[in-house]
Amino acid sequence: MSIFEELQQAIIDGKAPVAKELTERGLKEGIKPHEFFPKAIIPAMDEVGRRMRDCEFFIPEVLIAARAARGATDILRPLLLGEESIKPAGTVVIGTVKGDLHDIGKNIVAMMLESAGFRIVDLGVDVSPEKIVDAVKQQNANFVALSALLTTTMVNMKAIIEALVAAGLRDKVKVLVGGAPLTDAWAHSIGADGYGKDAPGAVELARRLVSAA
Amino acid sequence: MTTSRERVRLALQHKEADRVPLDLGASAVTGMQVDTVYGLRQGLGLDRPGTPIRVIEPYQMLGEIGPDLMGALGVDVVGLGKPANMFGFRNEGWKSWTTFAGTPVLVPEGFNTEPEPNGDILMYPEGDKSVPASGRLPKGGFYFDSIVRQPPIDDGSLNVEDNLEEFGPISDEDLQYLQREAERLYAETDKAILANFGGTAFGDIALVPGPWLKHPRGIRDIEEWYVSTATRRDYVYRIFERQCEMGLENLERIHQVVGNKVAAVFVTGTDFGAQHGPFISPKAYRDLYKPFHLQVNNWIHQHTPWKSFIHSCGSVRALIPDFIDAGFDILNPVQCSAAGMVPCELKKEFGERITFWGGGVDTQHTLPFGTPDEVRKEVCERLKTFGPGGGFVFNTIHNVQVRVPIENVLAMYETVRDCGRYPLR
Repeated sequence: MSIFEELQQAIIDGKAPVAKELTERGLKEGIKPHEFFPKAIIPAMDEVGRRMRDCEFFIPEVLIAARAARGATDILRPLLLGEESIKPAGTVVIGTVKGDLHDIGKNIVAMMLESAGFRIVDLGVDVSPEKIVDAVKQQNANFVALSALLTTTMVNMKAIIEALVAAGLRDKVKVLVGGAPLTDAWAHSIGADGYGKDAPGAVELARRLVSAA
Repeated sequence: MTTSRERVRLALQHKEADRVPLDLGASAVTGMQVDTVYGLRQGLGLDRPGTPIRVIEPYQMLGEIGPDLMGALGVDVVGLGKPANMFGFRNEGWKSWTTFAGTPVLVPEGFNTEPEPNGDILMYPEGDKSVPASGRLPKGGFYFDSIVRQPPIDDGSLNVEDNLEEFGPISDEDLQYLQREAERLYAETDKAILANFGGTAFGDIALVPGPWLKHPRGIRDIEEWYVSTATRRDYVYRIFERQCEMGLENLERIHQVVGNKVAAVFVTGTDFGAQHGPFISPKAYRDLYKPFHLQVNNWIHQHTPWKSFIHSCGSVRALIPDFIDAGFDILNPVQCSAAGMVPCELKKEFGERITFWGGGVDTQHTLPFGTPDEVRKEVCERLKTFGPGGGFVFNTIHNVQVRVPIENVLAMYETVRDCGRYPLR
């Protein structure tokens, strides 16, 4: 088994210490930091997404796998900055909207997008429209991903899209939305570019929008 | 005339009474947010403008459903529970407060808050401001969420006792309170009693952070807890074993004082469903939770006439056969907006073996965002689907939230009254 195959397996099995050790060993053996993504981390998290869709993996298994992937990406991310030829698939400003403090779903989406090669700017929970606009400007983001668990807070997504329009940034970013009470129709009604039914769905959507751009 | 108690009893025996029974406010997951209670009471002409509403559950900011409101709507169930709320103080010594929506409310004297520089509001366990805050109401928000106070976890020194602080033997004071309250509710009302004695929910994520505890120990972080159910499965199992032992001892003592006055007991509110599927696999449910649900339900069925109530949000269809097998008699909230939770299929497949307590209207879409006519249509359909043959207590799916149009709430209860009579047509 190659080191990439071993790393893939460690991530799928949720073994964070093994994933870290394999990443460090690979780097010592001369593997370039960016190679880990297409050869191990992205396929591993794609497999986790498939298992989630097929009801083989549930929330605890996905969280554990995502933590293992993060164990590898935490080592690789600072090293990627030195590799100027490597560009992330996109920069995603992500957060749970104002008034809402729920973040498990948002964290899973962030971890899966990161493992798929996107650069993540996680603003946390209870995020105001102004904070999103500032982050998009400062980070030169091309995606905004918004989460809400409550029917009382999902409506705040619309205010964020309006703030992006007012700041002249709407054409610069694709807005993805997700969360338990949302539907595809509702996402379109507020002017979002897409609705992610679940974390694998959000990754699929982001990839589709990248290739369409 | 059929009393409320008799109406609920028949429904739980899967028989048709005179009409479908109605619950509003008998538990912390079948109630109504306080701003909405205010609007409803105003809409019904029960209060003069500006009359404050009591907050009887500060964590979710639920409003009191008083006897006059129960009477106006035809509510058939009352709740019985221990005197302390989610933040560990009692509902007594009322004082004025105003919600972010501007609603005048009354809160208990232990409801001691502190504003944050960003406008958020902090809440304290037992109302004690000398310890770190345990709840946060975001500025402009409507509910508190737990502030996770997670001490550093060292796997070498994790001790199950740290996660068991909240599960001791019930105090004599609480026992006497339950006895008094059960007697009062039984004598002064004709309602069925839904009791929540606490201590038998294994791994309820709302309770894991222990917002009523001053210095929680063990695993208290939400994500860490979910991860631990797989990575530290034996540790979690040992917590549940001890919790179950203590829970059964408490049930025995409680049964001695409340006896058969209770119709149903709220055993667990642990959520096993997400929007699009179960939170955990059926295999994990059978391994980690079902053994303890079986023990609790077996004890209840062997020693009492109580029906056993399970609350689990989300898409739990794949788990319902196991819930039934574990001895649950009642399923709540029957989240029909989640994947696979199709009302007619649920009734057909499980309706003879479990009572649906909820599912009355879609609280994610129709009730907050639909028109009164859409609400009427859906409520009528749900009554006709879940009602035949009994085995149905009408309730919304979880608490009625804030920002729900009052005309929709009124349309819902009018429809329950107009279309909920047996035989259902």
